[in-house]
Amino acid sequence: MSAAFFGAPVPRNEDHRLLTGQALFVDDVQLEGMLHVAFLRSDYAHARITSLDVSAARESDGIVAVYTAADLGEYWQPGPLLVPPQPIERLEFHCATQVPLAKDKVRHVGEPIAAVVARSRYEAEDALPLIQVELDPLPAVADPVGALESDAPRIHEQFESNLAAHAIQEKGDYASIVEQAALVVRRRLLHDRGASAPMENRGVVASWDQKSGELTVWDTTQAPIPIRNGLASMLGLPEHQVRVIAPFIGGGFGPKIMMFYPEEVLLPWITMQLGQPVKWIEDRQESFFATTQERNQVHEAELAVDAEGRILGVRDSFVYDAGAYNPYGLTLPINTQCTLLGPYVVPNYYSEFRAAFTNKPIVSPVRGAGRQPGVFVMERLLDLAARELGIDVTEIRRRNFLPPDAFPHDHGIIYQDSASLVYDSGNYEPALDRATEMIDYARFLSETQPAARAEGRHVGIGIVSYVEGTGIGPYEGARVSVEPSGRVSLATGVGTQGQGHFTSFAQIVADQLGVEVTDVEVVTGDTGKFHWGTGTFASRGAVVAGNACHAAAVALREKILEQAAQELEAELADLELVAGTVRVKEAPGRSIAFGELAVLANPLRGAVRPGTEPGLEATAYFGPEKGSTASGVHAMIVEVDPETAMVDVQRYVVVHDCGRVINPTIVRGQIIGGVAHGIGNCFYEQLVFDENAQLQNASFMDYLIPTATDVPPVDTDHVVTPSPFNPLGIKGAGEAGAIPTNPLFAQAVENALQMPGLEILEMPISPNRLFELLEAARETG
Amino acid sequence: MRELHTIQLTVNGVRHERSVEPRLLLSDFLRQDLELTGTHVGCEHGVCGACTVLMNGEAVRSCLMFAVQADGAELTTVEGLADGAHGAAAATEGVAEEAPLHPLQAAFHEAHALQCGFCTPGVLLTLIPFLEENPDPDEPEIREALSGNLCRCTGYQSMVEAVRAVAEGADRGEGA
Amino acid sequence: MEIQSEFLFSGPRDELWVNLMDPAVLAKALPGTKLERVDEDRYVGEMEATVGPVTAARFDVAIELVDKVVPESFTMRVDGKGAAGFTKGTAHVQLAEQGPDETLMKYTADLQVGGRIAGVGQRLLDSVAKSMSHQGLEAINRHLQGEAPPEAAAPVQLLSRPVVLAIGIVVLAVLLVLLL
Repeated sequence: MSAAFFGAPVPRNEDHRLLTGQALFVDDVQLEGMLHVAFLRSDYAHARITSLDVSAARESDGIVAVYTAADLGEYWQPGPLLVPPQPIERLEFHCATQVPLAKDKVRHVGEPIAAVVARSRYEAEDALPLIQVELDPLPAVADPVGALESDAPRIHEQFESNLAAHAIQEKGDYASIVEQAALVVRRRLLHDRGASAPMENRGVVASWDQKSGELTVWDTTQAPIPIRNGLASMLGLPEHQVRVIAPFIGGGFGPKIMMFYPEEVLLPWITMQLGQPVKWIEDRQESFFATTQERNQVHEAELAVDAEGRILGVRDSFVYDAGAYNPYGLTLPINTQCTLLGPYVVPNYYSEFRAAFTNKPIVSPVRGAGRQPGVFVMERLLDLAARELGIDVTEIRRRNFLPPDAFPHDHGIIYQDSASLVYDSGNYEPALDRATEMIDYARFLSETQPAARAEGRHVGIGIVSYVEGTGIGPYEGARVSVEPSGRVSLATGVGTQGQGHFTSFAQIVADQLGVEVTDVEVVTGDTGKFHWGTGTFASRGAVVAGNACHAAAVALREKILEQAAQELEAELADLELVAGTVRVKEAPGRSIAFGELAVLANPLRGAVRPGTEPGLEATAYFGPEKGSTASGVHAMIVEVDPETAMVDVQRYVVVHDCGRVINPTIVRGQIIGGVAHGIGNCFYEQLVFDENAQLQNASFMDYLIPTATDVPPVDTDHVVTPSPFNPLGIKGAGEAGAIPTNPLFAQAVENALQMPGLEILEMPISPNRLFELLEAARETG
Repeated sequence: MRELHTIQLTVNGVRHERSVEPRLLLSDFLRQDLELTGTHVGCEHGVCGACTVLMNGEAVRSCLMFAVQADGAELTTVEGLADGAHGAAAATEGVAEEAPLHPLQAAFHEAHALQCGFCTPGVLLTLIPFLEENPDPDEPEIREALSGNLCRCTGYQSMVEAVRAVAEGADRGEGA
Repeated sequence: MEIQSEFLFSGPRDELWVNLMDPAVLAKALPGTKLERVDEDRYVGEMEATVGPVTAARFDVAIELVDKVVPESFTMRVDGKGAAGFTKGTAHVQLAEQGPDETLMKYTADLQVGGRIAGVGQRLLDSVAKSMSHQGLEAINRHLQGEAPPEAAAPVQLLSRPVVLAIGIVVLAVLLVLLL
């Protein structure tokens, strides 16, 4: 089958609805008799609830109900551990998951204490101040390193300390080689918290139909099927009586994956109590406390290299801030541990982490999911080693790349999917070559930079590389069908938050069925339409669901051909699928339309052959044995004003390898969007908590996400090493843009300033903080 | 019961008269009372720009206004763009059977200037008066015009490209 | 957040002391405040932040004076709680006679702001707190000199209701600790 659409820059099927205001987002759901929910949340990061009286709120105008933990009875249960600990040999793990409403104690600001249900959101919020709650404050833990000290206040009383996990992974024997190293670079590196900040906040609408016994939930989730299964189990309903719909979602970036957030668990229960639909839409301020966050880690790391800069080994020990609860288990620190290795030969590796509970909002994956801190550590250590040894930053990377014949490459440590970390394929040097060419690296250093310096301008260049494990299992499925109208429809279980699944999946199917991309109607994220699968995360949608769509389309193609062969009395090999019809190649006049075949495939009378499956429909599943490893090289040119410490990012180049590309326009969009997110994460976005774990910048006035004037033009290009682990050869691309920006920014800024004492070892680095570092470097230098 | 005020306004060419509480935000009024849910609310404090609508031809943030402040006004929301209310409609390939799009909407489609699409209505309504005022903007001007609208998906580059495409199309006498 | 500052009053120390202990005088320095003295060293009351016709938020406040050395110094503990968050603080106030009709107030305050209000307006807090506490102290100073305090300043222009409210509340929280 020739690929007419696979690889083509097809404009998106979903755009029309989004551009005209016709797309349904969760907040757009309006139901007859719908009530509105608002939550009373903790103002304290750590406190005991000594009394809670909601009687006055219950009497307030327009209030239908007020619920506290005590009202939930047996429904009050801690949420599920979403990712059980991976099978790491040397591991200690303690799990504490979030609860629907705080009962005895609150453990972070914003933790919900009571839910108010009213005729309008306005009235619900009016009643919140009427709730009498006494909170007896306890000392709060803000710093994850401090959290692990023996005298730190204990967040979860059932444990002996705030240690959530301690794990050691090792390959080779770092201790034995460190003696032979020509150079050992040791540093402490910090990575602070940021917000995912999708433009759409979270929201849930739940509607219980007593007569049919059906629960329908519209949820801003990236993973509607696991949410449906979990809710059915919690509420004691059969799974097929619960329908979870993730309609158009206004950006996900991780925290919408699957959390069983308190609101997600409570609204379905409330609608069943009241028999009326209920809605809760998170406001932006709530989202800064109630939606998960990520990336606070403190690394003590060292890199041992020989005199030529070849890596002998890496030793890394880090503390990871898990927040108040850890439903994602070890996912993030393991991603850090694994991604740190990058595209390099690292013969000896010792990596140890301690996860700490703190009184800060819950941590779960945010675009990049633990990978950024790992890449930051490795790339920074390489830069420092290159500086010490007098080697060019591109050269030290080149010398250490895994060669193209090293694949599949097994690192022998455990990855987030519980299997050994295996790189499926890769070819790193061409990407580096291409990126240096695109950014004109040699000329920048030989001409542009000296010329600018002569004018007193501080311009700098950076170039870094990274890998990203993508497309992990377990599996996804898809169902493709042809209706009597002749239209093709495709349903898959993953949710969509802007990745263009309505188009890329349609491209895959259109190629098999010989129809136009616009002829394929795609449904994602509705368990009423497809109920097997997991969800959109870990850059896996295109890889896993894409291959499932392909498999289903291949199966349907076979079915169509067989049916047509019968009807047209022709040999299978003589048939072709063209424009929604099947025709005989040599005699195009002999043809039959898909719609007609669909009618014939679903006879109302007569007999069918034994074993016949009705309808022109096929369902298939795909589960990769292992994930696929995408990679890339990013390069950047900056200009720094040493007086104000403002950094202007002037150029940005990405050369990316995500295997075979379904739709280059969509991939480019994903990459550039990721870069914007990454630039935010290195220069603008930092969640600042005070020592009492109170967030200081909970609004878009103070938490700055990049605007159009902050993001430079980005040039992208591709290197293609198809993944051998899936039939379409795809690797994931959703998170890639955001992953290596931090070390890139640091390298470029250092390169611009050329100050011997200046080392950027922390992220994000705000202009203020950079100014402090500059001052310090001037004093020592 | 709180006091109600009667307001009259025209939205996308349709006249409405409603009684509203003085504290009702214009964004909530449009979304809930008029069921025009294309106007999105992203931050409720006037930073993100998702709720931008046109009031008497000017871009305003509907989350920063009360419905009563729109009494007597003429509003345009994203739902009112495709019908040709603002410039000639352009046919787009690949989206047959649907209402023709405004040239800016069509350019967004062609340039992949939207991903999740949540910020898009506000972006469109910010750009429409901008383009009326400045039909041939260069890249820095476009970025400046976009700088009051937050987008987390696109990195803005494709939006800039879409606006340039509209400007170039207008140069050639196509579209608006 | 720690704040250190001083203010020179045009009045004798004993009289200033009496005024500082009088809830009616204090209320004049703090627009939107009602205070009641429940016993010698404890006050309770409420503060309201309003913008135009809308009541933004209400704080229930409890104040306790400790380590009182009449008329030289006192320490005050303030607890304010409301729907938008809480404030908790301790202020040490020292009054020194500079002359027969001049008293220098030195104060250090340690302030904690929590909950939703902590997340908004932080970058404005320092400067706004300084200027508004100065205004408040100025009002007490005028009272000391027998002048009527000026009308409370007009609310900030309605930019964004939640933003203005949040800033207003934070400022009130700061004033509460600094002034009382």
